[in-house]
Amino acid sequence: MKIRSLREKHFHSGVCTGAIWALFLILMGYTAAWGAVGCDLNDPDRDVARLFPESTGYKTHYVSIDRKGGAPLLAKIETRLGDKFRGIYETIDVPYTIYEIFTNKKKIGYIHGVNQKGQFGGIQVFVVLDLEGRIRGFYIQKMTSRYAGKIRDANFGRQFIGLTLKDFELYDVVSGKASGKVDAIKNPAPEAEADFRAALRATKKNLVLMDEFVYLPQAISSNPGGPQK
Amino acid sequence: MITKFQVAYKNLLRKRIRSLLTLVGIALSAWVLVSLLGFNQGYETALNKDIDNMGFELMVMAKGCPYEAATMMLKGGTGLKYIQESIMEDIAKEPEVEKAFPMLMSAVFDPNKGESGGIAGYFGVEAKSFAELKPSLKFKQGGWFTDVNANEAVMGYEAAELEQREIGDMILMPEKDVEFKVVGILERTGTQDDGTIFVPLKTLQKIFGRPDELTTIGIKLKKGVDSARLEEKLYKLPDVQVVSLAQVKDTIMKLISTAKVMVLSIAMIAILIAMVGVINTILMSVHERFQEIGILKTIGAMPWDIFQLIWIETLILCAIGGVLGVGLAMILSKVTEILIRYVMPYAPSGGLVLIDVKLIVITMAAVLCIGLLSGLYPAWKAGRIRPLEAIRSEVAR
Repeated sequence: MKIRSLREKHFHSGVCTGAIWALFLILMGYTAAWGAVGCDLNDPDRDVARLFPESTGYKTHYVSIDRKGGAPLLAKIETRLGDKFRGIYETIDVPYTIYEIFTNKKKIGYIHGVNQKGQFGGIQVFVVLDLEGRIRGFYIQKMTSRYAGKIRDANFGRQFIGLTLKDFELYDVVSGKASGKVDAIKNPAPEAEADFRAALRATKKNLVLMDEFVYLPQAISSNPGGPQK
Repeated sequence: MITKFQVAYKNLLRKRIRSLLTLVGIALSAWVLVSLLGFNQGYETALNKDIDNMGFELMVMAKGCPYEAATMMLKGGTGLKYIQESIMEDIAKEPEVEKAFPMLMSAVFDPNKGESGGIAGYFGVEAKSFAELKPSLKFKQGGWFTDVNANEAVMGYEAAELEQREIGDMILMPEKDVEFKVVGILERTGTQDDGTIFVPLKTLQKIFGRPDELTTIGIKLKKGVDSARLEEKLYKLPDVQVVSLAQVKDTIMKLISTAKVMVLSIAMIAILIAMVGVINTILMSVHERFQEIGILKTIGAMPWDIFQLIWIETLILCAIGGVLGVGLAMILSKVTEILIRYVMPYAPSGGLVLIDVKLIVITMAAVLCIGLLSGLYPAWKAGRIRPLEAIRSEVAR
């Protein structure tokens, strides 16, 4: 009920923007539906309650690099990630879904997921963040691997809790070389090194994107209708 | 000289808010009507296109399992029934058959999809015959399997997008622990093929321990043949049942007919409400101009002139309301389509709301006819106003 009322409130407060978006969607028609695939929670109501037990509601925002800053932003994100966006599906127009989490009317954090190419299929990595950008939860929604059970295990995810983008800045997503807290993350399935590295790359990408979309001051000022601190 | 049309138009402008609200009522009714009729023809067209895209007209499958795909999804492949591949040779000999296509659908449980796991489906086909069946399929990358027994996969566009695969990448079949090399990625088709992973038929039969077994045989008929006659013959084959895609279409159309009747009922109610609104607006207008009409009559206006004047007002309201409603339906057709897809258990790909010139003309004619009917009573009442009574009522005031 709380979730519903919050959604309704959000809808009414943004009715003008909503109307413009609705018109845009109508005019765009299928174009939007044929765009790149994003990464959503399978069952947001259930998953948000599970990942953020104290939450009473959430808002969903869709952000993409091309709308937010275009090619210059993509270049900046790639520099911060330390790797180019690869593959025909890791593109500038991917719509990223940001779940803004609330306890009553107070914002308490975010949930954000990214798709990442794994050894045998796409991996969907979600991080649960507090308002300072610190990881307070880690969830791999989907992974195809012989060792997926180990990498998706809660014990593996717990190693990420408390880490921030700063901890990942020194992690080289290409060579897999790490230092500090990221180096301390143990691979629960040494046989699946590629998937382990993919999970770390996805986490770093996730944190860089959230920093650009949400936490940096320019992200807040350029996105008045979107998530703000 | 001022025309009756101009007089009627100016009369409507006297009470702008009331006229506007009546217009909104008519426009909403017209919107519902156009959207409903557009859905009626759009759904059928899209369904026909979907069925045509399948490439065959008849399907043969094991008896007792007409909804094999649903069974597969619900039971993770364990509920599927199989037919012998040898049946296909018998079918291919029939003179009505142009080509028969073997298919094997299989599914495995993937515990690492979401919180409680999910089903991963695979479609075993013969590359050569399947390419003949669907000549419109184009590859974004790569091509069909290199060998009938190869551990290779061709992925539909959306399947590849979700799994982040490109040619040369590997995919793993959970549960069976078998790896496949992706050799082709199809271009987007807008059909169920987009989400499908195709593997060689022989390979899939081997993996699932079902050599020489199939779940479905697709039959493409020669042009102009009697499909009913062939169906009769196929029913004589042991333990199989025949599903005609025309039957499938009829069943789906019957299923949605209930929904259509309900929406049509709502549309009729909306139209009735709009009619009452029009009658109310024009009657109020006649009542307010009681004296004015009396004066018009004293200076020579005939009952027919007054009748026409009031009728034209109705006509103007309905014409403008109808145009607005049609415009609204056209602009919001995509939104209507999204809503339909949300509520319907099955919706074919492609446009579900098809609004064409014929439909617009029919709707406008219907709205104008309803409007003219609604205007009859107020116009008749206005035509019967007696001049002396009208003027006396003025004096009495």
